[in-house]
Amino acid sequence: MNDKTISSTPARNHGGGMRWLFNKKILFFATLASLIIIPIGVGDDYIYHIFITICLFAGLSTAWNIVGGYAGQLSLGHAIYYGIGAYTGMLMLNSGVSPWISMFVGAILAAGVAVAISYPCFKLHGPFYALASIAFLEVFHVISLNWVGLTGGANGVMVPLEMGWSTMIFTERLPSLVIVFGLMSFSLAVAWVIRRSKLGFQLIATRERESAARGAAIRTVHVRLYAAAISAGLTAMLGTFHGSYLTYIEPESAFNLTFSIQIVLFALVGGLGTVFGPLYGTILLVPITELARGWLGSSAIGLHGFVYGVVLILVVLFMPDGIMSLIQRYLPSSRVRRLDASVENSVDHVPLDDINKPTRPPIGEVVLKVEHLDKHFGGLHVTNDLSFDLHKGEVLGIIGPNGAGKTTVFNMISGFLRADSGSVAVLGEDGHFISPKTPGAFARSGVGRTFQIVQPFAAMTVEENIMVGAFYRFRSVEECRKAAREIASELGLNRFLDEEARNLPIGGLKRLEVARVMAMRPRILLLDEVMAGINPADLREAIELIKVIRNSGISIIAIEHVMQAVMELSDRVIVISSGEILAQGKPEEVVKNEAVIEAYLGKEASDASNE
Amino acid sequence: MELIFSLIVNGLMLGSLYAMVSVGLTLIFGITKVINFAHGEFMMIGMMLTYIITTYLGIHPYLTLVFIVPLLFVLGILVQKYLIEPLRNSDEHVQIFATVGLSIAMINLVLMIAGSDNFNTPSSGMRHTLDLGLATVLTGQVVIMLCSIFMVGGLHLFLTRTQMGRAIRATAQNRNAAQLMGINVSRINMVTFGIGIACVGIAAVLLSPLYPVNAQTGQSFVLIAFVIVVMGGLGSITGAFFAALIIGLVDSFTGFYLGSSLKGVAVFGIFLMILIFRPSGLFGKARKLAHVS
Repeated sequence: MNDKTISSTPARNHGGGMRWLFNKKILFFATLASLIIIPIGVGDDYIYHIFITICLFAGLSTAWNIVGGYAGQLSLGHAIYYGIGAYTGMLMLNSGVSPWISMFVGAILAAGVAVAISYPCFKLHGPFYALASIAFLEVFHVISLNWVGLTGGANGVMVPLEMGWSTMIFTERLPSLVIVFGLMSFSLAVAWVIRRSKLGFQLIATRERESAARGAAIRTVHVRLYAAAISAGLTAMLGTFHGSYLTYIEPESAFNLTFSIQIVLFALVGGLGTVFGPLYGTILLVPITELARGWLGSSAIGLHGFVYGVVLILVVLFMPDGIMSLIQRYLPSSRVRRLDASVENSVDHVPLDDINKPTRPPIGEVVLKVEHLDKHFGGLHVTNDLSFDLHKGEVLGIIGPNGAGKTTVFNMISGFLRADSGSVAVLGEDGHFISPKTPGAFARSGVGRTFQIVQPFAAMTVEENIMVGAFYRFRSVEECRKAAREIASELGLNRFLDEEARNLPIGGLKRLEVARVMAMRPRILLLDEVMAGINPADLREAIELIKVIRNSGISIIAIEHVMQAVMELSDRVIVISSGEILAQGKPEEVVKNEAVIEAYLGKEASDASNE
Repeated sequence: MELIFSLIVNGLMLGSLYAMVSVGLTLIFGITKVINFAHGEFMMIGMMLTYIITTYLGIHPYLTLVFIVPLLFVLGILVQKYLIEPLRNSDEHVQIFATVGLSIAMINLVLMIAGSDNFNTPSSGMRHTLDLGLATVLTGQVVIMLCSIFMVGGLHLFLTRTQMGRAIRATAQNRNAAQLMGINVSRINMVTFGIGIACVGIAAVLLSPLYPVNAQTGQSFVLIAFVIVVMGGLGSITGAFFAALIIGLVDSFTGFYLGSSLKGVAVFGIFLMILIFRPSGLFGKARKLAHVS
């Protein structure tokens, strides 16, 4: 899904990588140039028209892809923004304002509408978001039909044919082509910049795994609203241009579902979520259907729609990653080379030196205060008046039978669940206690967590996964990348750096989970069963790893079932059963506690151990 | 008073028509978890076929049921088998675009063959008005109303009382567990999709004497059907039935008081409200907050 080639580092360090970059750049710039050169060379009005259509749709598709591909919100209502842009341009032109100005007015208007539409809908996913966007489109369609005073209703709006650059209306086609080419290039540039910026990574992380993204201090709602606004603004600018180009606009064509679907289709055929996919998709499809329409004339009613429908079916069945996946496969890639390089440069190892150094700082002041937490799920009292403290540099183990409410406690002390009553206070860096409310606020206050069921950003590489954790600490993407590499090498993930997270084995995923949270440099680390399901050798390594983390002064709370780890690591153990603290104390004391044995193994076992 | 009564009767008639179109859609979603964006197009195809058969053979439109329902059942099975099933483990967007693509292809195929003209199936006595005292209805509407009740009741009995029905429900609850219990899940999905499409086939035949058909007919109905399916709680057949009656009433009243062109805003406004505030539907239990683990 994501654009691996873009996210790879510039290959300037490797001679062979140059060739790859060269090839792909050549392909891209040759494609761009041909969009201008071919129509000028041929000089035919109809060819001009086809190329203008290509640029228009490539621009629209690229803009859509920012919200549909990067953010994964499948809007089928993007014609709303196109229509807003077109109407704004036409109406303002009729009052004597040049499209060069109204273009920006339309963009701002559309961005506002996009935020207003997306904000209530951000909870909706997949087909539901698609349905909601169709419904909004219908609403705009009906409003534009009925608000005759503004839009002229079904009759539409026309503009006087005053030619010239100020009205964007021309007798020749070349100026129109230049304008739309410029707008398309602008869309591509914006999409490219976003994909390489923090926003791009945050969008993809949010798309891949929203809860993990929130845990990594990403403002998941904000970033999606930015994406929606930018995408809508670009779409509206192209709409304004197209209005002037057509010199006539009416509700049926402006707020049209099929038009919306076409925009999506090109992005899908090209490669959803890639920067240049929408461009290639458009270039492939528009000429076929436009030429067919040209040859067959009016007898071809429905033909281009039919072709689009069939292409859509074939693409989802046989090439769901689009043309970009083919380009990726057949153009030499730098990925292999980079893997070799990274293996050479650094050998995987846990820095054992640190462990052997008796550098563990003494346990310090209280850094986390949990007081009287209460939580009900329906009739179930999952957490009952739970209170405990965590000290600086301490490892607190939480054990308890399944269903005892351990993970619920974690969810409440990392902001994923709101307690019915009670409070969680975190010692801030300034020495004052604060009570964060959201996962993001917890993350920013220095609480990092892992998830019991691993939550990788599946379509991102290991490096990118870890980078997401580092985002809130660093300004630039490159700094994040550097930090991510350091952590990966500490955690022995080096050889997987360029691997997509979905291809990792479970042990690797668990490490990745820890690496991502470590990238946030938390002061308090919540580990939810990181030892479960890994083999004995890895277990040894994991225990040593947590010791290293502890020795660096980080306070840790670990939910764990693996007793070897609990016994060896914990300074203190809390046993939770049925939402209450059953016992707490030093690990060796707790495991001898009768109530604990009873809770785990039943009454008979507890009796037997007494005899 | 008479006006209100007549609006109510009209709304209920319209509602039962919407119910017929929606039950198949909600059944398919409930079991296969796929939103069939091409649902309306199957109805359009059914109506086109009804028109063709009745005009060429000169038979009563309802008689075409014996041909159209099995045909659409088989079509549904084929779509499930060759389009939906292969995408079962694909990303969500891929599944959405599969049926969107199917919908576009079907609409435009009909446009290429038949153009954008309206076709009127002979009314064959189904447009006779019946005087109910305070309101008048068409015979065809009464038939649709009765059939929609039978259809919902029949599907309900089928799903709760037969072995196949239980297997279908088990698949809906938990696909993997059902498979472990020896249920052939792909077959269940095919049958479900077939039944869902056959249901819209019945709707198509019964609608034909009352409504003209063109290539776009499916689109106008399917949007309303989506509203109903979400409102009734995705996958709930009885929920869809009552949601359909509500939407029918809304349609009838807003159509009268706001004008037919603005009633869409009311219907889609309700839809958006429900999507945003009660995504589990009007009658479904509020979804529990899925806690992270």
